[in-house]
Amino acid sequence: MTSSQPVILGEMPSLSKLYLNAAAAAARRRVLGTDEGAGLPETRHEVRDVKAAVENLTAYQHLIGETASDVLPAGFVHALAFPLAMSVMNRDDFPLPLLGMIHLENRVVQSAPSRFTEALDIRAWAENLRGHRSGSQLDLVTEVRGAGEEGVRWRGVSSYLAKGVFLPGIDKPTAAAVPAGFAAPDPTALWQLGVDTGRAYAAVSGDFNPIHLSVLSARALGLRRSIAHGMYLASRALADVGAAKGDAFSWSVSFEAPVFLPARVALDISTVEGTDGAWERSDYVAWNSRSGRKHFSGAVAAL
Amino acid sequence: MSVNGQSAPGPKDSTPTATPAAAPASPHGPAAPAAAPAAGPVGGRAAAPASAQLRKAVIVGGNRIPFARTGGAYTKSSNQDMLTAALDGLIARFGLQDERIGEVGAGAVLKHSRDFNLTREAVLGSALSAETPAYDLQQACATGLETVLGLANKIKLGQIDSAIAGGVDSASDAPIAVSEGLREVLLDLNRAKSLPQRLRVLSRLRPKDLAPDAPNTGEPRTGLSMGEHQALTTAQWKITREAQDELAFNSHRNLAAAYDAGFFDDLLTPYRGLTRDSNLRADTSLEKLATLKPVFGKNLGSAATMTAGNSTPLTDGASTVLLASEEWADAHDLPKLATVVDGEAAAVDFVHGKDGLLMAPAFAVPRLLARNGLSLDDIDFFEIHEAFAGTVLSTLAAWEDEDFGRTRLGLDGAFGSIDRSKLNVNGSSLAAGHPFAATGGRIVASLAKMLHSRGRVDGRPARGLISICAAGGQGVVAILEAH
Repeated sequence: MTSSQPVILGEMPSLSKLYLNAAAAAARRRVLGTDEGAGLPETRHEVRDVKAAVENLTAYQHLIGETASDVLPAGFVHALAFPLAMSVMNRDDFPLPLLGMIHLENRVVQSAPSRFTEALDIRAWAENLRGHRSGSQLDLVTEVRGAGEEGVRWRGVSSYLAKGVFLPGIDKPTAAAVPAGFAAPDPTALWQLGVDTGRAYAAVSGDFNPIHLSVLSARALGLRRSIAHGMYLASRALADVGAAKGDAFSWSVSFEAPVFLPARVALDISTVEGTDGAWERSDYVAWNSRSGRKHFSGAVAAL
Repeated sequence: MSVNGQSAPGPKDSTPTATPAAAPASPHGPAAPAAAPAAGPVGGRAAAPASAQLRKAVIVGGNRIPFARTGGAYTKSSNQDMLTAALDGLIARFGLQDERIGEVGAGAVLKHSRDFNLTREAVLGSALSAETPAYDLQQACATGLETVLGLANKIKLGQIDSAIAGGVDSASDAPIAVSEGLREVLLDLNRAKSLPQRLRVLSRLRPKDLAPDAPNTGEPRTGLSMGEHQALTTAQWKITREAQDELAFNSHRNLAAAYDAGFFDDLLTPYRGLTRDSNLRADTSLEKLATLKPVFGKNLGSAATMTAGNSTPLTDGASTVLLASEEWADAHDLPKLATVVDGEAAAVDFVHGKDGLLMAPAFAVPRLLARNGLSLDDIDFFEIHEAFAGTVLSTLAAWEDEDFGRTRLGLDGAFGSIDRSKLNVNGSSLAAGHPFAATGGRIVASLAKMLHSRGRVDGRPARGLISICAAGGQGVVAILEAH
């Protein structure tokens, strides 16, 4: 982490403005060429006293399959902090194009729960710029604390890939080992995702990225159909794991094939219990119920 | 405490019954192993059957309407219509016109919100005294059996002297909800105070909100239908297609034989032109069943063995059972076919596949028998509800499995096997159909009649076991004995 002073934003930035700005930046780059600067901005962004709107929380909880309790689901915290994380990637000195960035992986450690009545301080920064066999990869780190508190309650690390962007001075690792073949197990759940799944999650998360909204808007960005938000899928899997996880847990997901909508996604959740019968972890994997192609996998584990 | 001669005296010390209250806790040695598995081991509860202190609850008889495949004879009949029809037949059979029954309990699984007082409305529409209280109950497919157990307990405790338990379901006249979008708009519209507010709310309506939201048989937490869940369990217990078809064939054969023998003459009232269950195929054969294509488990990666022939179809129908204290039955000069001995409910953690969705009875039966000092060998009739042939066979396979007995039931070995000639001897749901909440009443009335005609076995009353699985990973089981 950097020692430079944080940029404190007066309020949570608007995602739609960020996307517009990113589109403009992309156009600028196309005309003027890419900046030669290869490093990540050292500045971290911060917003203080953020509160969740209860209507939004309820809509999110119902959509994801969580009971509408007063505690913010870990995936909701991600959505709440997401515009701040995006604002880091939207900086003029950010070396990679925001639009078209692919979410590869997400790791969250929630040490303590937050309630919608509490004000939260949120910080975000980018780090760990590194090569990837098909582009450049980086981590966006987000930390959430109770307002004015020291201890981190929620820490998320999102790994993004800028496909086809190779920055000077960054090693390109040799081609990764071919992923092991995936044999779908018997499912424990089946999700029927309608074409409006992306719009529904956009409405509760604020993430109106056009690739999720409709066939037309997705085609405009080069996809054949719209795709489900990765964090929607991961958050549903987290909800499906159930109450055993308690309030403090780690939660990871790695995304493989995107879920083109509409879709039938099969899911297997397997639980590991300790010798005393207490819950230790639940591993999940999801695949296309027709083709058997793996969509994503991850784990929720006790801290 | 008696008003209008209706309320019964409180719990009384009736003469001790023949029930061996001090029977050994379990025929399997120590009832409660020290390291009990979490899933609910057999035994474990110290309580002996309390029947020594309680009076008996007897089954006087039952009445149902023939069960109809969905979209058939009862398409336009509502739950209330069918429950009232079954109730009226019961009233006619036992001369209950204008009778003030202690309490009527019934329920439906697929229920309209307007039917919040379904059972009371059926009572008001029947020939029973309008002063008969009633309540609704819902425990998915176990609804019917649970009403019998709950009302029998009230009789045993002396709270009531007579009761009618029942259940009804219509898959044809199922409730269809408006979409969430329309529902929220309508509710918000109702809360809006001014015209501009109302217009703002209305402007939220989208064309897709007008599409209705029909009920389905999917489990809310998994999205898998009941058939798909059972397909996983069927594969897990390696139940063959042939074994499932044979069970289905036996169900049809036994039910047809029971009709031919006149077994249902005093258990059933014709309705809407039906005199037999419309799903019954008396002429089916193993060859015909073998030609059917699998319908469940096709996408699950396992061998698909479950067909429309060895799965129950969606069905409409209703059933009722008349329960009473011995004194009430005697005073009304009514038969006492069987007693309700004991019941047990269980549930399994099916959501992530620890156990199969419909496997709860595999745990409930060992607990129930242990509490009553009985083993499978002490049962003369097994009534295991055929949600799917695979459900019955998976349950039997679990009981015969050494490892399941040791690790899941906490026994020394396998729980045991049953004499298949005692299983569903007059047919069950695969042939009769399964209007969810009505199945319990069908089984209780039929079993009570079978027990009564068997009378005594080896110097003790004939004994029957009922096992019903239910959505949500639940199961309810019960023991009946010939009176």
